[in-house]
Amino acid sequence: MISFSRREKNWIPYLLFLPALIYLAGFIGYPLVKTLQLAFTSEEGKVGIENFITLTRDSTFWKALKNTLYLLIAIVPLQVILAFLLALFVNGRFKGYMTVLYIICIPLALSDVSAALMSYNIFTSHGFLNKLLMKFGFIDAPIYFFGLGLSSRAFWVIVLTELWRATPLVFIILLASLQVISKDYFEAADVFGFSSWQKFIHITLPLTMPSLQSALLIRTLFAFQIFAVVWLLSGRDIPILAGEVYYQQAELINFRLAATYGFIIALICILLSWVYLTFLKTKHLEV
Amino acid sequence: MLKRFIVVLIICMLLTSAAFAAEVLNFASTQMVPAAEQIFAKSVLIKGFSDESGIKVEFIPMEDPDMFTRVSAEVAAQKVTISLVGDLHGGLDLMNTKALFDDLSGISLPNRTFIKALEDYSVMAGKKVYVPWMQATYVMAVNKKAFQYLPADLKVEDVTGASEKWTYDALLNWSKNLNEAFKGPKLGFPMGPKGLWHRFLHGYIYPSFTGYQAASFDSEQAVKLWEYLKELRPYMHPSSSVWESMDEPLLKEEVLIAWDHTARVKNAVIEKPADFAIVPAPRGPQGRGYITVAVGLAIPVEAPQKDNAVKLIDYLTSPDIQVKMLENIGFFPTIKEAEGVIPEGPLKILATGVLAQSGSPDSVIAMIPSLGAKGGEFSAAYRDTFTKIVIEGADIGTTITTAGDKLRAIFKEVGVPLL
Amino acid sequence: MKSQRIPIALKIKQLVTIIIVGFIVIWFLAPLVLITISAFASPGDYYQIDKVIPTHFTLNQFKSLFFGLEAWKAILTSIKVAGITILLSFIMGLPAGYALSRYIFPGKNFLKLLCLATKMFPLMVLAVPLLIIFMKVGVSDTIWGTSLAHTAMVLPIIILIFSSILSGVSVDYEEAAMIFGLSRIHAFFRITLPLALPGLAASAIFAFMMSWNEVFVATILTLTNRTLPAHILKTAMASPDYLKFTAGFIMAVPAMVFIFFVRKHLVTMWGISLK
Repeated sequence: MISFSRREKNWIPYLLFLPALIYLAGFIGYPLVKTLQLAFTSEEGKVGIENFITLTRDSTFWKALKNTLYLLIAIVPLQVILAFLLALFVNGRFKGYMTVLYIICIPLALSDVSAALMSYNIFTSHGFLNKLLMKFGFIDAPIYFFGLGLSSRAFWVIVLTELWRATPLVFIILLASLQVISKDYFEAADVFGFSSWQKFIHITLPLTMPSLQSALLIRTLFAFQIFAVVWLLSGRDIPILAGEVYYQQAELINFRLAATYGFIIALICILLSWVYLTFLKTKHLEV
Repeated sequence: MLKRFIVVLIICMLLTSAAFAAEVLNFASTQMVPAAEQIFAKSVLIKGFSDESGIKVEFIPMEDPDMFTRVSAEVAAQKVTISLVGDLHGGLDLMNTKALFDDLSGISLPNRTFIKALEDYSVMAGKKVYVPWMQATYVMAVNKKAFQYLPADLKVEDVTGASEKWTYDALLNWSKNLNEAFKGPKLGFPMGPKGLWHRFLHGYIYPSFTGYQAASFDSEQAVKLWEYLKELRPYMHPSSSVWESMDEPLLKEEVLIAWDHTARVKNAVIEKPADFAIVPAPRGPQGRGYITVAVGLAIPVEAPQKDNAVKLIDYLTSPDIQVKMLENIGFFPTIKEAEGVIPEGPLKILATGVLAQSGSPDSVIAMIPSLGAKGGEFSAAYRDTFTKIVIEGADIGTTITTAGDKLRAIFKEVGVPLL
Repeated sequence: MKSQRIPIALKIKQLVTIIIVGFIVIWFLAPLVLITISAFASPGDYYQIDKVIPTHFTLNQFKSLFFGLEAWKAILTSIKVAGITILLSFIMGLPAGYALSRYIFPGKNFLKLLCLATKMFPLMVLAVPLLIIFMKVGVSDTIWGTSLAHTAMVLPIIILIFSSILSGVSVDYEEAAMIFGLSRIHAFFRITLPLALPGLAASAIFAFMMSWNEVFVATILTLTNRTLPAHILKTAMASPDYLKFTAGFIMAVPAMVFIFFVRKHLVTMWGISLK
């Protein structure tokens, strides 16, 4: 490749990248700067941290932060474990594994709105779960999952929905990395008489580690963007950071506070990325 | 296979964008937004008008805050695309203060007489700002089964006739009885994100307890109000916080007593007329607080299709259509000709309840304040206070003082007198 | 002895596989099947608490959603927005992806990192300033406004996908063509592009789905020209349950079809794009 490109002037790749770069600067870079500016401008137009003070005085902010973190903790580890098991299983390449792969991947393409409605269909008072339980006489009256003082139940419904919806994403990343592990390693291991468990610990796990870490990172970042599922299933009973951006913006038309929430989300995301990159020493960025 | 798929997709895209340039009259409305009402507006009202006049109309449902932002932005940019605005009296009032509307005194609408009070409301400082389009209110809907469990000293006639005995305390006792009899709470409110729960707080219970919507938000009486709501809370159905329209829970019999907008309980009455009664809201120490909603039609300055907009106003306030709106979506007429035609059958139930409420001698009538873009914050102040005090158990005194300060700041900022 | 035990062990293994497959299929398909049932169920059956599986079916919900609530317009808007998004992200993404796959130059890793870093900022962070800018320019509440925002979301990922797809097409063909006198541009269009086409088509579908599913920005940026998910989030929500189910079903159908079309590229698409 090197010889190939030496023949031409070295400004060509930059030229090729330029339109995209300009576009991203305009539509991601500039809005980011604007967000920063909005977040640090008070209602009277003064520059300062007034919005952050308003925010931290509001108990909803702390609840939103707490709920977002709880969701993260409840969803991500489970999801990664589940996805890993699924990937190992599908990688066994039994007969018809392509069909199973297709079925697992359907939720990948579903919008979160749609996924939320599917779980509403199951868990609402006249939903399938309640009707089924009543039919078989387990309960006399419907169990309510959404509502006043029921946010802990709604929380677990949200966790289930997210597990259903987003596990395939982690699954496919892990499967991709499992598929490229050379058979030679396992054959060599067979020669040395490794058990399946030993093979997993000494071959599969280390070789999929980079993907595992990046899946973890991606899921963590995406967990901060969970919006529609929570919004549709619990309204503001379970306030979350992304939901507050929407609420401040669309219902209260308070651009400054919406931007402040947005800024905080971005800040946490950057921080988490940094933590992951530093402590997990992942090399996945070298694609 | 894939290639063909993409090509077809792109062709579809180009074709559809080409066909999108026809001249239409944009009719933006904050009313008739919920699904059933919107379907009626689009497939009956607008379609009927277009078929009759040949004028193409686009019905644009909007949320309250969006309307104000949108119309003022369009007028400011001198690129007005909306030719007709349908909004609450309050919203129109506010937009008028920013000089966004034409004076409509010149237009003539023959063969109808508008109800005097509504006509008077629509003229502001000598300018005819809007044409009264519909009116509505919020009522209680009761499943007749619930009448068997009335508290000892309360009779069915007290409730339906808005007597002095039909109080918030009576409602509490009644809900307690129901809770015991049915082993679960049977009183429901539309507290979901798009529900109208805040209207109950600021327009019903607040005036009933304090005499005002916001003016004595953190008074002694208000403390009693919040104590009352805390007491009532165990008898409110937990799913309230996801309900946005009470007709469904009423029909499912998840609740037996519910409060909501007439348009949002109407379906229950139509589906099962024998099962339900519509009754006035209860009264509190200061009287019977309730909201009267007046909806009007206004034409923005520099609207592109003024003449057609007048034709649409003419159509929408004609006696036939006024009756149709009552029959289909539970909004009440604004003209005398239609007032007389209150229908027999299911909707009579609705009309009776509404009349009993407006005819009660202890009325404390509330109008939704005109706060424009701040309307959302106003509603949020009431809802958040409820969540904090009643759900999370925050201290009443401090919570309502903070929220009260916020409310007063909102009124001051918009420049409207405190209600 | 041994020859008997092996078949039994195999059979047990097969059985376990079948059971696990059964679990997977039920877990992933049940919600889809159930919402399909609910989408067509008559409201009467839904409200009957003792009726688990409805027996009366109707198309009324589809009618009121499509025509009464004019979801057909929202679907058209969604298609248009996604189409423009694909077009824009291809125009800018192809050269950029080509640059990453064919050249070695200082700052290459930085650019890759930049593309990845955009994922750190949730779209909702950008939505508010974008709305303010679009209002000023006059493209708020237009198909273009939403498309421009969606392109910003799709482009970085598309660049990375393209880069890996083009890397998969061996340089040798291109070099050979150039030896026979084709210019680099010609070599790209005549040789590389056709070879990469299946992958590119799959990426188009990938981009389409990202745009089709995006709800947050679409809701905030528009009032009248709403895409389907935004339309449903805004209007169909204060509506009876059976309408919600129908709406959920309508949104899910394209997803299932798309996944079917790209099923061979699934691992490449998501595996690479998110690595």
